[in-house]
Formats: sequence, structure tokens, C-alpha cells
Amino acid sequence: MADSGDGKKRLPSQENLLLDYVRRLEKHKVGRKVVHLHLSGLRPFNRRDQHIRTAAGNFEPLIGDMTGQLFILKNADLFFVYKGEAQPQVETIVQKIRFLFDDDPLVAEEDKQPLPFASWHDADRDYESILKMAQSYADAEEKRQTAVRSRMDARAALRAKQQQGEPLTPEVLARVETALERADLSNLVRRQFICAVDAKMVPEQHFSELFISIKDLRETLLPGVNLVANRWLFQHLTETLDRRMLSMLTKTDGASISGEISFNVNVATILSKDFQIFDDNIAASRRGQMIIELQKEDIFSNLSSYLFAREFVQDKGYRVCLDGMALDSIQLINRKRLGIDLTKLVWNPELVDGGDEVHEMLANLTRDEGEGRLILTRCDNREAIDFGKSIGITLFQGRYVESLIAEDSRRRELLRLKRRIERS
Amino acid sequence: MAEWGVATTSMGGGDADTTEESLLLDRLNRIQNNAIGYFAVHAHLSALRPNHKQPHFIDIAARTFDTLIDSADATLFGLTNKDLVLICREVPVDDVDSIMEKVRGLFSEDPLTEMDEDSFEDRFSTWYDLSNREDFADFFGVITELAVEAEQKLKEQAQQRDQEKQLGDPLRPGNLAEINQKLAGMRVADMIKRQACLQVRTGGGGELIFYELFISMAEVRERVAPDINLFASPWLFQYLTETLDRRLLAVLVEEEFDELQDPLSINLNVSTVLSRDFQNLHRAVGSNAHKVVVEFQIIDIFADLKSYSYARDSLQERGYRVVVDGLNPLSLSYFEPAGLKSDFIKIAWGPEFTGDEEDRRIEEMREVIAAAGKDSMILGRVDSEKAVKWGLGLGVSRFQGFFIDKLVQVIGRGRQPATKKVAS
Repeated sequence: MADSGDGKKRLPSQENLLLDYVRRLEKHKVGRKVVHLHLSGLRPFNRRDQHIRTAAGNFEPLIGDMTGQLFILKNADLFFVYKGEAQPQVETIVQKIRFLFDDDPLVAEEDKQPLPFASWHDADRDYESILKMAQSYADAEEKRQTAVRSRMDARAALRAKQQQGEPLTPEVLARVETALERADLSNLVRRQFICAVDAKMVPEQHFSELFISIKDLRETLLPGVNLVANRWLFQHLTETLDRRMLSMLTKTDGASISGEISFNVNVATILSKDFQIFDDNIAASRRGQMIIELQKEDIFSNLSSYLFAREFVQDKGYRVCLDGMALDSIQLINRKRLGIDLTKLVWNPELVDGGDEVHEMLANLTRDEGEGRLILTRCDNREAIDFGKSIGITLFQGRYVESLIAEDSRRRELLRLKRRIERS
Repeated sequence: MAEWGVATTSMGGGDADTTEESLLLDRLNRIQNNAIGYFAVHAHLSALRPNHKQPHFIDIAARTFDTLIDSADATLFGLTNKDLVLICREVPVDDVDSIMEKVRGLFSEDPLTEMDEDSFEDRFSTWYDLSNREDFADFFGVITELAVEAEQKLKEQAQQRDQEKQLGDPLRPGNLAEINQKLAGMRVADMIKRQACLQVRTGGGGELIFYELFISMAEVRERVAPDINLFASPWLFQYLTETLDRRLLAVLVEEEFDELQDPLSINLNVSTVLSRDFQNLHRAVGSNAHKVVVEFQIIDIFADLKSYSYARDSLQERGYRVVVDGLNPLSLSYFEPAGLKSDFIKIAWGPEFTGDEEDRRIEEMREVIAAAGKDSMILGRVDSEKAVKWGLGLGVSRFQGFFIDKLVQVIGRGRQPATKKVAS
């Protein structure tokens, strides 16, 4: 990975790889040359992915035999660094590429353009300016990535804010809780699958989490109220929701919900009569398929109760999962001592941005946990899955995983149809 | 098949004939002449630490015997003092043993369940072979004594019921709204109390670290919520403290910080520190931040570690000191206190730390405190010399509590109260 020298570690973009390469080139710059193809100057419809790939493909023979190294920048520019002896071949290649784009003004009206189609440099003579240019590309790319990320975060935050509405007050909470006691919440129960994901992004379901959708709850019971505005009132609300979830599970379990499931409860609820009733209705064998999810603030707000409750449920065969862990809390809390069976780590770009040290720490942590005990949740894009796999995590949950499941089932459906057609 | 009696809850009449103890004695009388195959197991749950003897824990422990009671000739008696007695006929000892192991496991954190490796002494349970005359007589004697104590206990329980009525309705969203409203508008200056945090030197004498200022919850209750148990829900209580924070800050803002001689500490929510109310205080504090200490509750910290870190950093940068409060000494083994990077960590003394015997727990705790940094530890809620001794034995040198307040008087600070406006 390129080290910008200010101590920050970056992601391996082409720009960073180029910068890294140019730095290392300093020792071998004699006898080396650089050609910079300004394909960023092409008209947009001429510099699509396939155009650039085709152009880059022309360098293959020289890359294969180690004569040169190619970098394709985000802006579509091509950077080729090569041994001086290959000058004639490189000139031929550049000619070929020109030909590919000869109807674009960049080539057709080259004298009128601010930049030539290709700039040629001697690595030895022009080293300083090459280095400067590589650095500026790397900087620009980092800025761009940060901007994209914060735009996405800002957009997500804005959307959330617009959806939020009036903050919850004790009076409103009281009315909500009364309504909840009587309401039928069964159609607000959602299910999200925790899956292993293979190299081809095909998911394999391991268990599913059942939860009451707060968003839908709000829409049905309380439009215009921000249920999560105050943390404490919300925590109190979740206790009521937990109890309702338990009573729903008590009624429906066995028949309708198959496979291993997890659900959220408060420690106080585990020690209550509601849980006793729920547990009485569960077959002993079924308990082993159930995972109880707890929050750290709940655990530490009354540690003795937690320890007792944990012993009690684990003895019966339930497993305990610590939910909502992040980079800071996962290093702080001794999960082994707490007797936790599974841990859910919430995906956040900061896990990647933390750099090598953080990655290594997480990888060690994952290895120490043992296979399949650490779950990466809120995976809402592919980056989350890729990152998780890179540090040894095998189980994932989130919107992106749900989309992989949908895609996979579509694929299977198509296959089924195809087979049926073939047989008929 | 047997029935499971309910004497562990404070319900039912005070009639001596219907106590569990009397029912058990009746049973023993009937067994006496034909006791072949009968045995009794007496689980001494009454000897558990107070915080482990909560009704729902005992309830759950009792239910552990359900499978045995349903499948064998066994009867469970729940005595008034919380002991459990199992009377069995022709039940395989191993079957009973495995249940006892489970119950023992539930209370594994309690020293009562420790088995001394050198002796066979088991303080948790005693077995009696009722077909043996001596055993029978011993057991009968034990139960007779307990029956007498039970009568006394029933009287006490009646008194306790009255007290519980005095504790009042639990705090709920419904009554919370009204209480919050009243609090927001009332004068709190005369409800503010203070408590000294003292560094105790081995040579005698002490040094004042700070005075903790707090709003007396007893007075709040009296004035604003006479029939309400404010501590029924930790979440709703924490919500209430957000209003109390603002009231306290409103008083403190009038303080002459330049003239303040002794540092003071205040409990605040993380959200309050990040609010405008705190900015106002900060302006009033000016260059005297070193005289002000901010205390955060662990439940608040764990609810949002990021915000806590941010608040802590911004406070420490400006010269304030930070205390992590609300910790059970037990919890130090379950997370890295040093990771919270506070100036002090306050753990609360409780009757469960009687320290009568040299536990392995004490050694463990000493190690944990040393690892966390004994110089940052404050032992709070110190109500006796015993507590101070316990703390000193663990390497703690800073103390706070009623007993310390007395010490402060004895040592004779001889100074004016810290501020003119704050009641002492």
C-alpha cells in the first residue's frame, strides 16, 4: 500500500499504485521512459470503459514480458512506464491507439487541443515532474473518494432527517405503549438473513433475525413522530417491543418459522414472567436453534442480572449474541469473559479507513473468536462484504445480503425454468 | 406428583399453619414412620449475597426443578428465608445432583457456590438421608428453627409491604411527563447537596480531591413525585436526569468560579455536555476548568461510545477532568476501564462486598484495579470503616460516601463551604 508520508495509509487505487511505483522507480529511472496518454481529453462517449480497456489491451505484450507497467487512472488517462529499448514498439502501440480514436477531436484536431494525445517523458531527466504529477493524481483521487463517501453519508443523513419528524416525548411514548399492548404487530415483524457469502457472491443462509420494523411501526401507529430521537425513551420503548415480540413468538413458533432464529431482548425481559411463558412453550430441542441478542448498555446497566440471565438461558440451550458492536467498543469489552457466543459488528467505512493497523487488529480478533462467531451487519454495499472477507469474517447481514439472496433466487428460478423447457 | 409452593414472595396470609415451613413439617411427620427411600436436599440460597437473592432469581432457580418434580416423586418447598428444600423418594441421586449443578451454575458468581478443593465441605447444599434416624432428627430440628424464624419473617414482610407501598408506583412514560414538567419549572438550588471525595493517606489525614454536587433524589421525590418509584426503570430515570442536568447547570452558571477554593464535580449526560447549556457554563467557568470535574454514568457512556469519546476529549482539552461513574466493581473484569481514558473511575461499595473471607475474588479484583490504574479509582457509597478497609486492601486510596463526610468533619477542614450559593 502506498504511504503518502504523512502517516496515512491509503486504499490501493491505480493512482496510489502509480505513486508507489514512481517512488520506487527513482532507483531505476535511468534508461526508462514514460508515455502519458491523455484519454481524459476524449469526448465522453468515446471514453467508455470498453474503449479504455481496448486501448489498454494494446500494451499487453509489453506488460507480459515485463518490459513495462501500465496504470489506468480514474480519469481514463493511461500511464505506461517502460524500458527505453522498447521505444519503437511503444510508438507503434500509441499509433494503434490513436487510430482507435481517430474520429475524436482529441486526435482529429490535436493542434487545437490544450493537451496532446500523448506526452513522452524520460524518467531520468523528468523524474521530479513525473513524481509531482503522480502525487497530484493520488491526492485528487483521495479527495474524490472522501467526497463520494461523505456525499453518500450526507445524503443518507438528510434522508433520515426528513423521515424523522417530531421527537418522541413521554406523553407520546405513553400513548404508543398503550397502543402497542393492544395492537397486532405480527405484520410489522421483519426477517433478515445472516449468510455466508462465497467468492461468486452467492449467499448461504445460516440463520435469520426477527425484529419489529421501527420505520413501519412509526408509519402505522405514529406517522410524524421520531421514535428514536431520545435514546432513553427509545430504550424503554424497546422493552415493550421485546415483550410483544416474545408473545408473538410464543404463539407462532414451531409451525411458521423454520430454521435458526435470533431476536432482541432486554436482560430485564429475560428475567420476567413473559420469558418464562415463552420458554415453557418452546421444545427443548428448539431452544438450541434460538439466539438471544443483547445490547452492551443493557448488559452493563445491571451486570449481576446479566450474568445470571446468561447462565440461565445458555444452560437451557439458547445462545447469546452481543449486538451493535463498533470499532471502539469491540476493543473495550471482554466478550469472552462475558460468555458471549456470537458478536455482531456493525459495518462502517471507518473500519476500512482505519488502515493496516486496524485491519490487522480486526483480523486477529476474528481469528481468536473462532469460525463463524463474528457477524458483520448493516452491510449495505459490496465494499462491506469484501472488507469482511479480507479480515476473515464469514457471516454477513444487511440490505446488500438481502439483495444477493433475491438475485440468487432469481437465478435459481431461471435455471428451473430452463430445465423445464429442456425436458419438454 | 408434587406441588410447588410459593413462600418466596411477600404474599399470602400470616397464618402459621400455612407457611411452607409448616407444610414441610407436616410432611416430615407423615414420612417419619415409613421413611424408606426418602431423602432431603436443603439448598441454602439464603446464604447468597444480597444482590443474588432477588425474587426473580430465586423463582428461576426453583423452576429448574420442574422437570424433576414432573417426572419423579419429588416435592419442592420454597422456604420463607429463600432456602429451597427438595423431598425425594426413590429418586436417583445423580438426577438430583445434575439439577443441583444447574442451580449452582446460576449462582456461579457467588462465593457460596465455590467448592473448596481440599475439603468436601459444600456450603451451598446439605443432603439428609431421612431413613436414617439421626439425619431425620437433624433435619427436623433445622426446619423447626426455620419455622420459628419464618413467623418472625412474616411479620417483617408485612412491614416491608407497607414500605413498598411507600416506594410507590413505578416511573412510567405516563407519569414521567408530568414529573418532567414540574422539574423543568422548579427551583432546585435548595435541593443541591454535596459530598466530599477524599484521598486517604496511610499516615492518617486526607486531601480533598473534589466535592460532588448533586440534586438529592429523595427531595425531588418528595416535592415532585411523592408516590412514584423513580428508580423503577433505568432508562426513564436517565431521561429524567437530562432535565435535572439543565436545572443544575442553571444554578451553577451563577457561581463565582474565580473564588472557588475546592474543585467540584457534577453528574451530566453526555448529551448535555454537547449542548448549549454546557456552553453557557463553560463561559462562566472561564479559566477555572481545572476546578471542575464532570461525571458520566456508564450506562450513558456505553449507549454511545463515540459521543462519549468526543465529549471527553473536548472536556479534557479545555482542562476539565472526567469521571466514569456507576460502576459495579465486578464490571472492571469485563471491560478495559483504561480504554475509557477518563481521569477517574468511580466504583460503588455495596453490602455484597463484605470481605469477610479472603476470596480469590479479592485477589482478582486487586489485580484488575492495579491493571486499570489504582490511582484513578474512587470508591463511592462508602458507609463504614469496613468499606474503607476493603478499598485500601485493594489498592484504592480515594473515597466518597456518608462515612467520608463524617471523616471530613472530624479532620476539620475549617474552611468555608466551597460556594456561598450551594448548600452543604
